[in-house]
Amino acid sequence: MGPGRAGRAVAWAYVGAVLFFLYGPLVPPLLFSLGAAGPAGAGGLTLRWYRELGDNPLLVGGVWNSLLVGALVGLVTPPLALLAAMAVRELRRPRLIVLTMLLPLFIPGVSMGLASAFFFRQLGVPPSLWTIAIVHVVWALPFAFLIVLAVMATFDPVYLEAAYLHGAGRLRAFLDVELPLIRHGILGAAIFSVILSFNETVRTALVQGPNNTVQTYIWSTFLQVGLSPTLYALMSLLIGLTLGLVAVLLVVGARGGVSPRGG
Amino acid sequence: MGALQGRLSAASRGAVLARHALLALPLAFVAGALLVPLGLMFVWSFWERAGFWIRPAFTLASYTEFFAGVRLSVLEWSLVVAAGVTVLGLVLAYPIAYFLALRVRRDLARNVLLLFTVPFLVNYIIRTFSWVYLLSRTGPVNRALIAAGLAGRPVDWLLFSDFAVVVGLIGSYMPFMIYPLWAALDGLDRRLVEASWLLGASPGITFLSVTLPLSMPGVFAAAIFGFVGSFGESAVPIILGGVGYQLMGNTITSALDVLNYPLAAAMSSVVVAAMLAFLLAWYLAFDLRAVLGKIARWRF
Repeated sequence: MGPGRAGRAVAWAYVGAVLFFLYGPLVPPLLFSLGAAGPAGAGGLTLRWYRELGDNPLLVGGVWNSLLVGALVGLVTPPLALLAAMAVRELRRPRLIVLTMLLPLFIPGVSMGLASAFFFRQLGVPPSLWTIAIVHVVWALPFAFLIVLAVMATFDPVYLEAAYLHGAGRLRAFLDVELPLIRHGILGAAIFSVILSFNETVRTALVQGPNNTVQTYIWSTFLQVGLSPTLYALMSLLIGLTLGLVAVLLVVGARGGVSPRGG
Repeated sequence: MGALQGRLSAASRGAVLARHALLALPLAFVAGALLVPLGLMFVWSFWERAGFWIRPAFTLASYTEFFAGVRLSVLEWSLVVAAGVTVLGLVLAYPIAYFLALRVRRDLARNVLLLFTVPFLVNYIIRTFSWVYLLSRTGPVNRALIAAGLAGRPVDWLLFSDFAVVVGLIGSYMPFMIYPLWAALDGLDRRLVEASWLLGASPGITFLSVTLPLSMPGVFAAAIFGFVGSFGESAVPIILGGVGYQLMGNTITSALDVLNYPLAAAMSSVVVAAMLAFLLAWYLAFDLRAVLGKIARWRF
């Protein structure tokens, strides 16, 4: 019933073409930042723009803010995602729970940022890294939730019942039996959340007040003075960092190995 | 679950309550940090401007300003662009999802799907900046067109145009559309396709009368993702649309720039209302499990 060899070749070529379309935009910042193309081009390859990054206190502050927020989001999101996934398994109305947890995916970034910013302002909460972190957790939660849900689906609750029969309490059974088997999923959710936090602009810009993250630094610099080789150097580093974190994610996923039910 | 339930009834009421409260914590968080702010934003859209902020009132001024002014045409154009991007995204993503779900070994398919995730994780704003270069007069696309003899001189409408905005939006949101499509097609009962084939239907008829209808939950979910992204997008039109290019997203942020908070709240509420309407339609019309059932075999 399958298509012929030629058909498969055409299909793969199409998949490759779309991937080319998606990966192409990851390349130009690297070329610009190294002086290989664009406005700074023709001067030969250089690392000058990378060296200049460290001289900008505003940017260094943004990097710190991003790291702090990212760490906070990576710590807070997975436990929430885990609780939500357990709620799907154990509370009534699982469909409604799933839909609620996925809701942040369906709200445009501007609307989410705006509603949060107004909310904080009416409550008298001044913009800070905390307000940024709260918005990032809301944004990362559905993704983390799906990851944990997927890993938990490979775990057979019958193991928990076995633990109960041996006299273990709920907490003990979870810590000793289930957690070791879904640990890699929780770690994956944490890394995914950090990646999302690190790459967020639109929502952040609306709730950050005077605190830049590295991404909103890029955005506001673009709006005020336009793009520059230094900015391209920064973008290249961020692309590299994101790809590095994805690689870590893959290693964690592979280490997760075969689960009892085999997925 | 029988033994679990048994334990539950045996446990004290207080412990059960505490446990449920803990499990409901993430739901309370989403409600408190997203649903309540969205609801209040709707309320505040009826308040009036007061200096640098807003004050309580009940006025439809923001909505009349929105629907009577030039912004209505922005809303209409945003709907057209979002619909166009959604349809184009589906046309681009469906064959990939179909091929990966039904014609490729599952482990290989998962790896290829992963390849589609990676660019999605890099901030789409950074990726969109690249299109400014790629589509420019001296950029690679124009050079390729000229080298291929398809254009005599650089094509101007590639950048700072509707075309550029659509390219940017597709690049930003299409990767995300592949997953629900793949999940729906992967969960399809292949015996139905075989039955159609045994009954003598041609591949084309089988696709139109069996495969496509059964994958509709995924199509609808993918359409919502494409639509949410492009309808509310605020950065791509600024980067790729050129000076003065307006879609709903950046019209909302420009209302903020002139401190017209009630108007921004009103426009934002209209966008959210449109999204929730789509989401409700999806929830009522389709079974969530058709899209998510593959990842989560939860019990209903």
